[in-house]
Amino acid sequence: MDYSLLIPEVVLFVWALVLLLYNASAKTENPRAIGLFALIGLVAAFVILWFVPDGSLFGKTFISDTYARGFKMIFLLAAIVTVIGSVDFASKHMKHTGEFYSLIMLCVTGMMFLASAGELISLYVALELSTISLYILAAFLKKDLKSTEAGLKYLILGAASSGILLYGLSLLYGLTGSTVLDEIGYRLFLNEGTTIAAVFAIVMFVAGFGFKLAAAPFHMWAPDVYEGAPTPVTAFLSVASKAAGLVAFVRLFFNSLLAIKPEWVVIVEIVAILAMVVGNVVALLQKNIKRMLAYSSIAQVGYVLVALSAGIDLSVTSMMIFLLAYLFANIGAFIVVIAFSNATGSDNIEDYSGLWKRKPSLAIVMTIYMLSLVGIPLTGGFIAKYFLFGAAVKEGLYTLVVIAILTSVISLFYYMNVVRIMMFRPAPSADKIALPWMIKLGLAISVIMVLLIGIWPGPFYAWGQLASTIFHF
Amino acid sequence: MANVIFYILAIIVLACGFMVVTRKNAINAALYLVVAMAAIAGLFAQLGSLFIAALQVIVYAGAIIVLFLFVIMMLNLKRDEFGFDSRLFQRLFGLILGIIFIIQLILIVSRFRPGLPAQAIDPAMGNAAAMSKKLFMQYLYPFEIVSVLLLAALIGAVVMASKRKDR
Amino acid sequence: MAPLANYLVLAAILFALGVWGVLRNRNALIIFMCIELMLNAVNLTFMGFSAYLNDYSGQVFVFLIMAVAAAEVAVGLAIIVSIFRHKENVNVDEINVMKW
Repeated sequence: MDYSLLIPEVVLFVWALVLLLYNASAKTENPRAIGLFALIGLVAAFVILWFVPDGSLFGKTFISDTYARGFKMIFLLAAIVTVIGSVDFASKHMKHTGEFYSLIMLCVTGMMFLASAGELISLYVALELSTISLYILAAFLKKDLKSTEAGLKYLILGAASSGILLYGLSLLYGLTGSTVLDEIGYRLFLNEGTTIAAVFAIVMFVAGFGFKLAAAPFHMWAPDVYEGAPTPVTAFLSVASKAAGLVAFVRLFFNSLLAIKPEWVVIVEIVAILAMVVGNVVALLQKNIKRMLAYSSIAQVGYVLVALSAGIDLSVTSMMIFLLAYLFANIGAFIVVIAFSNATGSDNIEDYSGLWKRKPSLAIVMTIYMLSLVGIPLTGGFIAKYFLFGAAVKEGLYTLVVIAILTSVISLFYYMNVVRIMMFRPAPSADKIALPWMIKLGLAISVIMVLLIGIWPGPFYAWGQLASTIFHF
Repeated sequence: MANVIFYILAIIVLACGFMVVTRKNAINAALYLVVAMAAIAGLFAQLGSLFIAALQVIVYAGAIIVLFLFVIMMLNLKRDEFGFDSRLFQRLFGLILGIIFIIQLILIVSRFRPGLPAQAIDPAMGNAAAMSKKLFMQYLYPFEIVSVLLLAALIGAVVMASKRKDR
Repeated sequence: MAPLANYLVLAAILFALGVWGVLRNRNALIIFMCIELMLNAVNLTFMGFSAYLNDYSGQVFVFLIMAVAAAEVAVGLAIIVSIFRHKENVNVDEINVMKW
């Protein structure tokens, strides 16, 4: 047994504990020092991750492969960028910053466990570790009723959806008599004639994971939680919880349920169409930028499901590239929201008017993020959408691709609306907006990565392709 | 005989479950929930798994329900304070969805054939030693994850419920 | 021992009751209890399969589900207490959560 495979997770967990103890022993709370301390731990885990080899532990319960490590990188990067952007917010609005950052680290640990889970029990338990941490993080601003409400709503719907997911898992266990994913795939391949129960289990899985991914029609928690949760948590939630849902969804469906692919493709396609249409259309009506980004995230997950319903290796590759591009564009946009609301105290899209006059650099980076979310060439978003839709075209899913492109055109309106308001509306006040250096750093990293993926996609494509090699289509 | 015990316990579970769902008062609901949990523990024992049955009583009927009652007492909710939602549509929607769901589930589940042939029950089944061997060998990994999870929940509960003033 | 289908049907009805309760009730505490009903139905399914497949994995699953459920309830009740400090109310409609 090569326990060195577990080092990144163990480092992160121990670091979270040390952070907690340090915070408890300190006389005064220093959010900046704690944030930097958390950052060092996350970066250390990220560096160690590069040296972890392939392998498995406890009889395939823990798997370390290219797919798992690719997703672990995404989770760690999301946490790193979020922590960089959140230090300023934390020192201004938060108490218990030590607990805040250690919960973020525990949440990432849970997601990393999830990426490596090769069997149903660890998959469920790791998923719960990450979501329970997120419930608390969403409710973290105790003084703000909106935030606690967001936490409660997220918890109730999250717990109910876990129950539904679990019922599906129990049926799958009964059908196959095993909890190991490879074993389940093998036994489903062998026995025919149990499809009705299997289809029902699949419906349960799609509903359960649909909640975690915030795909329509299971999206009703997303706008309120995104709006109510503290903005750094929203940033992290919008990317990492989706990636966490996807890592488990894809491993379960492409590894274990591939034998009954015809049964689940239709269900995934329906959810994809609903997510794209509902997300993009309702986003047009939003006045609050966090709510707008919530509906945009619902639409974006629809694009991923389009690629996944193709069920080929390019689906996995394109999903990895998409998540990376989406990570930097979306968290970047939320860092802009943090900077703006710290300066003006508002999250309304209307209040962004004249941002170009007040802080040109902020307006420019926000424009780049919006362009990437639409999918304009030279940004990461374009490359991501190109491969996502390419996977669907390759399998001949033309209807889905047409709907995806049409709804992308709709999305142009609300993303560009933000740009129009920032650039061409007169500023309500001439006050300049000052940016702290941590926020500048976070914005710079995400802009560079968004453009880098857009201009030089080769290495990222190779990375995504490496992750897709573990599935046998 | 076994069948008779099963039906008695099943009726208790379903009746109490129905009462939990339809109560207005949280205390009443919690008390019916205890009975339902205890009856489910009986079903587990009937399946030969005394260890899990004991855990069901200790964890669910003991810890979780006591936690519920504790919070209800602490919040000091008055009787009948929180009625049902007045919107008829939502209630009807829930009821219809629930009935469709039940019919579907029963149709599917009653024809359920496990992929493997059912085996005669092992006399060691329900033996805590046999289960913990599995738990600490093959399933050590999820077990450790749960310990991290309990830590996270602990931190969260302390943060959310504490009334600490600024240091 | 009663046939497997008995346990499965009982669990299915109990699960549906729990889902109905989550959709129907407006009191956050009772919604939590209904979620516990759902989890118990799942546990019953796992135990039934575990006994009939003669495999301990299902029991391990039930064991860990219980631990997770306890953690979830602890966090949920802490959040409810925190909300109650703002508003003397745990009705999910009045605190404007659950706009479907």
